[in-house]
Amino acid sequence: QTGTVTGKVQDKTGKPVEGASVQVKGTSKGTTTTESGTFFINAKVGDVLLITGVNYHAQQVRISNLSSSIDVSLDSVANVMQEVVVTALGQSRSKAKLGYTATTVTSDVLNRDAPVNLLDGVQGRIAGANISNVGGPGTSTKVVLRGYSVIGGGSSNQPLYVIDGVPLSDASPSAQTNGTSNTDFGNGMTNINPNDIESITVLKGTAAASLYGSTAKNGAIMITTKRGKAGKLRVDYSGGYNLSKVGKLPEMQNEFGQGWGGQFILSENGSWGPRLDGKMRPWGATVDNSQLIKPFSFVKNNIRDFYNTGTELTNSIALSGGTDINRFYFSYGNVFSDGVLPTKADYLERHTFALRTNSNYGKFSINTSFNYINRKQNAPFTGQGGSDGQSTFEALLQIPVDIPIKDFSAYNNKFFNVDNYFTPYAENPYYPLNENGNVQKLDRFFGSLDMNYKFTDYLSLQYRLGGDFTNARTLGFKQPNKPSPDSWNDGNNVESATRKEDFGSVSQASDYYGIINMDLILKYNQDLNKDLNLEVIGGANYYQSNQRNEFAQVTNLVIPGFFNLSNSKLPPVVSDFNSLRRRVGLYAQATLGYKNQLFLSGNVRNDWSSTLPINKNSIFYPGGNLAWVASQTFDMTHSPVSFLKFRVGYGKTGSDAEPYQVYPVLTAGTPTAPLVGLPFGSITSPFNGVSAFRIANTIGNPALKPVITKELEAGLEARLFKNRIGIDATYYNKRTDGQILVVPIAPGSGYTGLVQNLGLITNKGVELALDVKPVVSKNFNWSMTYTYTKNWNKVNNLNGGPSNVILNTAYDAEIRAVPGQPVAEMYALVPATTPDGKIIVDSKGLPTAAQQKGDFGSTQYNYMMGLVNTFSYKNWTLNASLDFRFGGVMYSGTSDLLLFVGNGRLTTFNDRNAFVVPNSVQVTGTDASGKDVYATNSTAITSDNFYSYFYPTTNPGSSYYQRIISKSFLKLRDVTLSYKLPQHWASKIASSGLSVGAYARNLLLWTPKSNLYLDPEAGNLGNDLTSELGEFRAAPVSIQVGLLLRASF
Amino acid sequence: CQKHLDINQDPNNPSLEQGTPFIVFPAAVLGTAGAAGDLGILGGLWAEHFTQSAIANQYIYIDAYNVKTADLNGPYTLLFANGLKNYQYVIDKARAASDWTFYLLGWTMKAYTAGELVDLYDKIPYTEALAGTSNLQPKFDDGYAIYQDLIKGLDSALGKDFSARTSTIFTPSNANTDLLFNGNLDKWIAFANTMKLKLYLRMVNAHADVAQAGITDLLSSGATFLTNNAGVTTFTDAPGLDNPMYEQNIRQLNTGDNLRASTTFLSWLIANSDPRIVSYFGSTGATSLDQGDRNGNTAATVFVQSATDPVLFLSKAESYFLQAEADVRYGDGSHAQSLYNQGVLQAFTDVGQDGTSFVAPGGAYEFPTGGSTEDKIEAIIVQKWASFAYGTHQLEAFFDKNRTGYPKTSPVYSNAINYVPGQIVVSASTTLAAGLLPKRLVYPYVETSRNANAPALVPISTPVWWGK
Repeated sequence: QTGTVTGKVQDKTGKPVEGASVQVKGTSKGTTTTESGTFFINAKVGDVLLITGVNYHAQQVRISNLSSSIDVSLDSVANVMQEVVVTALGQSRSKAKLGYTATTVTSDVLNRDAPVNLLDGVQGRIAGANISNVGGPGTSTKVVLRGYSVIGGGSSNQPLYVIDGVPLSDASPSAQTNGTSNTDFGNGMTNINPNDIESITVLKGTAAASLYGSTAKNGAIMITTKRGKAGKLRVDYSGGYNLSKVGKLPEMQNEFGQGWGGQFILSENGSWGPRLDGKMRPWGATVDNSQLIKPFSFVKNNIRDFYNTGTELTNSIALSGGTDINRFYFSYGNVFSDGVLPTKADYLERHTFALRTNSNYGKFSINTSFNYINRKQNAPFTGQGGSDGQSTFEALLQIPVDIPIKDFSAYNNKFFNVDNYFTPYAENPYYPLNENGNVQKLDRFFGSLDMNYKFTDYLSLQYRLGGDFTNARTLGFKQPNKPSPDSWNDGNNVESATRKEDFGSVSQASDYYGIINMDLILKYNQDLNKDLNLEVIGGANYYQSNQRNEFAQVTNLVIPGFFNLSNSKLPPVVSDFNSLRRRVGLYAQATLGYKNQLFLSGNVRNDWSSTLPINKNSIFYPGGNLAWVASQTFDMTHSPVSFLKFRVGYGKTGSDAEPYQVYPVLTAGTPTAPLVGLPFGSITSPFNGVSAFRIANTIGNPALKPVITKELEAGLEARLFKNRIGIDATYYNKRTDGQILVVPIAPGSGYTGLVQNLGLITNKGVELALDVKPVVSKNFNWSMTYTYTKNWNKVNNLNGGPSNVILNTAYDAEIRAVPGQPVAEMYALVPATTPDGKIIVDSKGLPTAAQQKGDFGSTQYNYMMGLVNTFSYKNWTLNASLDFRFGGVMYSGTSDLLLFVGNGRLTTFNDRNAFVVPNSVQVTGTDASGKDVYATNSTAITSDNFYSYFYPTTNPGSSYYQRIISKSFLKLRDVTLSYKLPQHWASKIASSGLSVGAYARNLLLWTPKSNLYLDPEAGNLGNDLTSELGEFRAAPVSIQVGLLLRASF
Repeated sequence: CQKHLDINQDPNNPSLEQGTPFIVFPAAVLGTAGAAGDLGILGGLWAEHFTQSAIANQYIYIDAYNVKTADLNGPYTLLFANGLKNYQYVIDKARAASDWTFYLLGWTMKAYTAGELVDLYDKIPYTEALAGTSNLQPKFDDGYAIYQDLIKGLDSALGKDFSARTSTIFTPSNANTDLLFNGNLDKWIAFANTMKLKLYLRMVNAHADVAQAGITDLLSSGATFLTNNAGVTTFTDAPGLDNPMYEQNIRQLNTGDNLRASTTFLSWLIANSDPRIVSYFGSTGATSLDQGDRNGNTAATVFVQSATDPVLFLSKAESYFLQAEADVRYGDGSHAQSLYNQGVLQAFTDVGQDGTSFVAPGGAYEFPTGGSTEDKIEAIIVQKWASFAYGTHQLEAFFDKNRTGYPKTSPVYSNAINYVPGQIVVSASTTLAAGLLPKRLVYPYVETSRNANAPALVPISTPVWWGK
């Protein structure tokens, strides 16, 4: 007798368990419980239902009659023995067997605040992971696992992203990070719809990722997508809407107004003028014999009022269901996000489609996944701007504190237009905002085909084919403009200064990234005898990645508003880049389990890579780990310890080189001379109808070797007091050797650089994750997760290479890799001092710079901590996560400009009265032996020259102390409050689960006093090592507050 | 499987094997020309055609004779890595193929480029240079030995049979790859001969006998000399395609008025009522700043530059002046005046002026036919100095000053009542000991820091081997 059985699954506290799997034992028939814990399943009397839930003990119930509801109460897992995680190559394994750490975050956590980016929700939740987003719709996310380990050009420190076992591209199409016209369209990972994701497992260490060989030197992020489950059609909807406000903004001084050198000057772009007195004064240009007047007083919230309220709408709907044989999942998601800049200069529109099927036909099963992403993004230019046009942020920072910025929004108004904007030294910020921009349109398809054949219970074969193809088309445009003859900004102002023409530009980029990946895996899993279990997999991998970037740009536009490559009298600058790399790998892994308590695992992989010299392209990667579940060995039932595991793991991964670093080539034109600051002496090809190719100045290396990372980790996991306290602690020691660098060589050799393997970088660290449930009761629960990460990073040597490697620079600040120091150590100009430490000043009393730059400390966080608190009371849940990062310095280009123009708060030092640099001397001559003779300095920096103290050109000695600031912060990342509507309400609209919530992101931020400028996570220098320099007039980070609705049917 | 992985040939750049003299030679020429941006500024500041504006700092280190080992590494790198390496490639390829045309072109430009480096640094890597990984730390050779080898190379190239079947014969469709002479081999032969003449004349102080023998041979052999400007003259007004000194000093900097008229040069032009004042400084009303004066005329006239100014390696006027000097020194002296006059007239013509009246009897620049040898040489070199303000060629005037002592060094600064217009002064911002002028560059950091065989630094005021 077959019929529909209904039931309800709860935990021991009476809380419904959602998403538990209910299966008729011995068949593939199954369903999952709804949000209220209920299920319906076709079964017959005598069937046994197997009920399993994540983090619960499985339970079996025999059906004795079909009419009565089956109520099951699950015991939460105290020994974690049944927890399953996704490991390398997408293989699900029992977590207990792993000799390395793996952290899993589930969908509900990822999506609790309706994020646009997949990893926004896990910041501060994973020990050992440094995750940051620079802010603004569609921008990049930076993920660094266990510290930076690669300093070579072109190589990335970002982890490998794997979705359902298939590597995913994380490319950043058309990102500009050079400090002039920076734009950020996000990285590949930010395209994924978070609502489509079932869980994310982070494999931080090499021991865990070793089976990936050449791709996972920085760890791997394993993404598992949602799949359909058998049963009736299920519809899930999730929607969020939020408003955003600009977050931390620079703090301005409020005492001095427009002018320079203490004088009021109508056309100055700075606040070095007289003390604000509140009196009415004319300001700006005289136009048509009229001039505007306003009080000479501080404008509060001046920059803040420039920004708007942003809006963000996200929707995601998923349909899933199917039969025992065929199951499907279809979803559509969209995002409409308009950032805090007025206009749609910062805007993201994303549509994602996914169709996934799972089918089993006896011994054969096939799973597919097809995903399509269509994305449009408008990104503003940040940074300094160039001769083709300014960036909004550059313009915004140099408006005197007494001039109301918001008034300029009418940028065509006769007082605020190109001709008559108040200063010839900057532009109306609304001009580039409205007239310049970047638009990227991106199409991406990724998918996989995964087939399994089960020969027997213990032997199966898997074939998986995956692909990921991205096409992006990017348009950048800057409007040409020039002050009209004899206008205010054409020299007809009080300083006779002329604003340089903006030449305008148009660029068109087309970027293609394609990955094809194939795996063939044979799996064996058998109990050898009652104590021993053997699990073996062996396989082969084929990987190909292809890249094509085409770029064309014209400057000096002739017809304003016509953004086409034809619109210039100059020839376009074009570039064309192709790359193709292939890898073939063979791998095997064996795990021997003894009495379910001791697990020894060993793995090997050999890769052959196309980017290495053809006769030396083989790389061998071994790894192994041991896990001992002590709580299985000893009877701990009478101790507070419910689970105790020790683990130790070792692994080797690596990375082959970037393509084309082996053979000598010719290159077109003469280079942008890399040894001088500007492209002096570079002449391009074709030159006047002549094609010119020279022998490249970098010598390829026919003996190039891969970069090798070896890592040892050891740790323990424990659960105490009936699962009320969980501890996961890890120590690791990672060594990355043979960095691929272009080493400068003497030009007398005919060349300037040689590709070499050199340099060892170590990362040692501790990671601690604690989860505590202080209160567990029927109605009220409180749980807490705390993570702590400390990483000691060091460049051990650059053996035989240069004394240091400069990783990125901004004026005279730079980050270097220096042996004996953390990678990305900050260096900048420091004052010249006498042997006894007195500062040497020049004839104007300003500190002079020492010959050698000085060490300003590491850019790396000293440590990071995360704290997440979750309170639930009946149907209410409140969640708050704090992220604390301490230590490290950054260069701030925002501070640089604010100090130069006298808007920054530091510039009121000594009330702008003349002062003598303390403990300073001047050079008065030289003695007989040629040594300088010093006399105590009495020359004061005068009040009319006060600004010189805040500008590196005039005060090279100490101005970098003003510009390099602490990176520390404490952030309330998110707060979410959700309410699950009672089922009887939900049922009225035929819903099986309905919840609403409110959320806030980045709600509060605390920074040290020295940071008067911005959220230290804001950046515009990319999402890898170079970004550690800091920011160069980046866009601010915003605060979002929104509402969320989830419904299931 | 290995075949499947053999895909690492860069599709973005041609392989070394795909190179030919036709595509590499112009790149090498542009490498030599590219260095003229920095070096023209250096030369013009030290030959006192112009000086650093008193209200900006861009090139003050040059006017202060404070050029350190880390400065001006760019031109050194360009001349070696973009110039010499690629000339050597052309020479080697041409020799292997018995292509004597490109063999001559390669040697001539190599002689010019290596000669320029020797003149700047005295010693440079030469015999062991350009070897890539097989010698990353080449030893430095003596300048004189390098000169001898360059002359040998020019001789070997000039001695070839250019009509050989294997030699390139330029056609209208490929002649433009010769950026100097559009494929005219006779002009290259003249350029090579004139290069020889220039190299020999450099030796007049250090190896007078070798200079005399060489020049006598050259003159008696009936060798032809340049009657054209040798250089790159086809710049256009676009970034990366324009004159490199303009690109650097005007286009890339946010201010284009760093280089102002120096009193040294301007006072001479004014004293002689030379119309080239208009060509170089825009108007007859130009005003000047004393060399290196940080407190002087802030409104001094800006040196006129254009995006399409040529970069000359050896100018037509220079060719005449070299021949005139050779005739005065080692010839019968009968051609000196006519050669000198041709040089002066050509120098005027180059900048669109007419110098006829100046060389006519009684003219300001009349050749001192009755004067001593030194008088004649001074007249030649001073006119040469004035001509080098044209064609991004200022550096050559600095070399001539060091070789001949002309224009004379003034005992007083240019603001003194008794200052003689046109005499070189010691810059007011000098960092050298009293009375010293720069004579060379210190070895560049890019080489010394990476090449253990680099010699110890030599002070900037020490003359190079041929110096006076």
